[in-house]
Amino acid sequence: MPMMIAAANALTLPDYVVIALYLIGTVAFGIVIGMRMKTGTDYFLGGRQLPWWAIGMSLVATDIGGTDIIGVGGAAYSHGLAVANFEWIGCVPAMILGAFVFIPFFYRAGVYTIPEFLERRYNAGVRSVIAVCWLLFMACNLGIMLLASAKMMSAVFGWNETVCILVTAILVGGYTMVGGLAAVVYTDMIQCVVMIVGCLLILVLGLVKVGGIGELKSRIDEADARRANVVAMQDGTTDVMSNDQAETSRTSLILPVETDTPFPWTGIFFGLALILSPAYWIGNQAIVQRSLGARSEFEAKASYVWGALLKNIIPLIVAVPGLVAVALLPDLQDGDAAIPSLVGVLLPAGLRGLFVAAFLAALMSSIDSYLNSAATIVSHDLYKRFVNPEVSDRRLLFVGRITTSLLVAWAIGFAFLLTVMNEESGIYAIFQTLMAFFQGPAFAVLLIGILWRRATGTAALVGLICGIATSITLYTLNQPAVYEMLGWQPLFKIKEPFLYFSIWAFVVTALLLFGLSYFTKPNTESQLACVVGGAKSGEGGRP
Amino acid sequence: MTPIHRLGDFLREALSLIPLGAVRFLFVLCLVALLVWVVRLPREATTPAGGAKRWDENLKVGATIALLIQILIYSLL
Repeated sequence: MPMMIAAANALTLPDYVVIALYLIGTVAFGIVIGMRMKTGTDYFLGGRQLPWWAIGMSLVATDIGGTDIIGVGGAAYSHGLAVANFEWIGCVPAMILGAFVFIPFFYRAGVYTIPEFLERRYNAGVRSVIAVCWLLFMACNLGIMLLASAKMMSAVFGWNETVCILVTAILVGGYTMVGGLAAVVYTDMIQCVVMIVGCLLILVLGLVKVGGIGELKSRIDEADARRANVVAMQDGTTDVMSNDQAETSRTSLILPVETDTPFPWTGIFFGLALILSPAYWIGNQAIVQRSLGARSEFEAKASYVWGALLKNIIPLIVAVPGLVAVALLPDLQDGDAAIPSLVGVLLPAGLRGLFVAAFLAALMSSIDSYLNSAATIVSHDLYKRFVNPEVSDRRLLFVGRITTSLLVAWAIGFAFLLTVMNEESGIYAIFQTLMAFFQGPAFAVLLIGILWRRATGTAALVGLICGIATSITLYTLNQPAVYEMLGWQPLFKIKEPFLYFSIWAFVVTALLLFGLSYFTKPNTESQLACVVGGAKSGEGGRP
Repeated sequence: MTPIHRLGDFLREALSLIPLGAVRFLFVLCLVALLVWVVRLPREATTPAGGAKRWDENLKVGATIALLIQILIYSLL
């Protein structure tokens, strides 16, 4: 990221005091909670004693990463408010659906992980493939989050990149290793508050500086008109703003199919709202795990509803500041410089420290969740399932802590490995896209397995593998080097078509699952207990 | 042009024909459908085991507010 924001990196002593207070308070709080851990259930599910309000805030904090605080505002600056779809229609409906249909179902099943549920519903093969996919996703993502955030801190605050990676990993790893899910959820709660307050500060001060919402709207319209003018001059046309352009200004959520942003309505509706969002809120171990640690089924549901309510305000504090930057700083070359520049312009000494704390809160709340969930998958889906099925709960606590430590070491190593790779290769984007490949197929298997009694394990395994292969094939065929070599046109016309990959991968998995299930061995009674509506009269099973 | 490209072009052109006003209606319709489903959920699915003692213990209230905000947002923006 070629930015060095002079104003924002001028942190003063009061800023550092605020940052230090935040870090010390969070880490100490996490470690104090960790002192109470006695068993694996305490460690992985918070002893099933977590309150709904803490889980709901943790859900929101986990979903917003450190890079999102700056990246979402940057995307809003460059592409407009359409990026807020990821927080609105890309979260709220799936959370409400999850709260009343899926979460109670998982909770009643008494499982620790989604792969564990999938073994009960299908077979060990499906469990293993999903467990390995999630583990790879989370383990790689840990390194990427560390590095991407360290790069951002280095560019924005002038801090040493290596030190940022090490300090973040050790602080977050420390309290997560000691305190498990309870420490993650309670520290996330604090982090959620710090994040919201820090970002709200920029929004409020920004709106005051612009002169209110009406003035913001008119300045954005001016910026849109200027942009349309430039495009018209480049195209050599006189039609400065067509009806379509007028309909899709920077404040529009719904953009046409042929938009030059990564957010056409087709991708947002079919890819995000119908597939990736439910896949994330219903099938992501790092998200679902905390609701499995709720005090009751009702509290598990309540946590999701509370999270959905909070989600409504998130775009206001992370995306709208990007629009404020359009009004105040209309000539920035790099969208990612928008929020740091705004911090420099709007916040006095001391309050800049609060923004840095908000950034760190967003970063830490995501890393701790992925650490704990990856450790849960290793401990339950690999160690307990395949190595030592008779392991005691106390021993599992030890395994969880060791795994968390190893994952911290891995994340640091992977982050440093990425730093020595050629940045121009777009390695981060490639990893992020690759890791998103399995989410559509995984969701198809989970959704159809829960809703359709006839779906079989063999069909699910074949569908899952073929779905993942579809994503990878589409991604490969859409690479310029590949389609030019084949003499083809690109398969997708928009930038970063990852939403479309997920649609097609989901469709392939679903079709295979529907088709092959009729030709494979029907389910047993215990498997049918994992279907909504459960086993019919006389059939057994916990859910 | 491969069959995949033809399929993609066909879908892209077909979807491009849908006016953005109709797309907005689709977004809002889905949210309204979800809201209706939430409102019609049985009481035992949205309250604690012993029944709600206060009005705010019914999760329908929170879910309805969250969805109404969404409907408002997607109707206006």
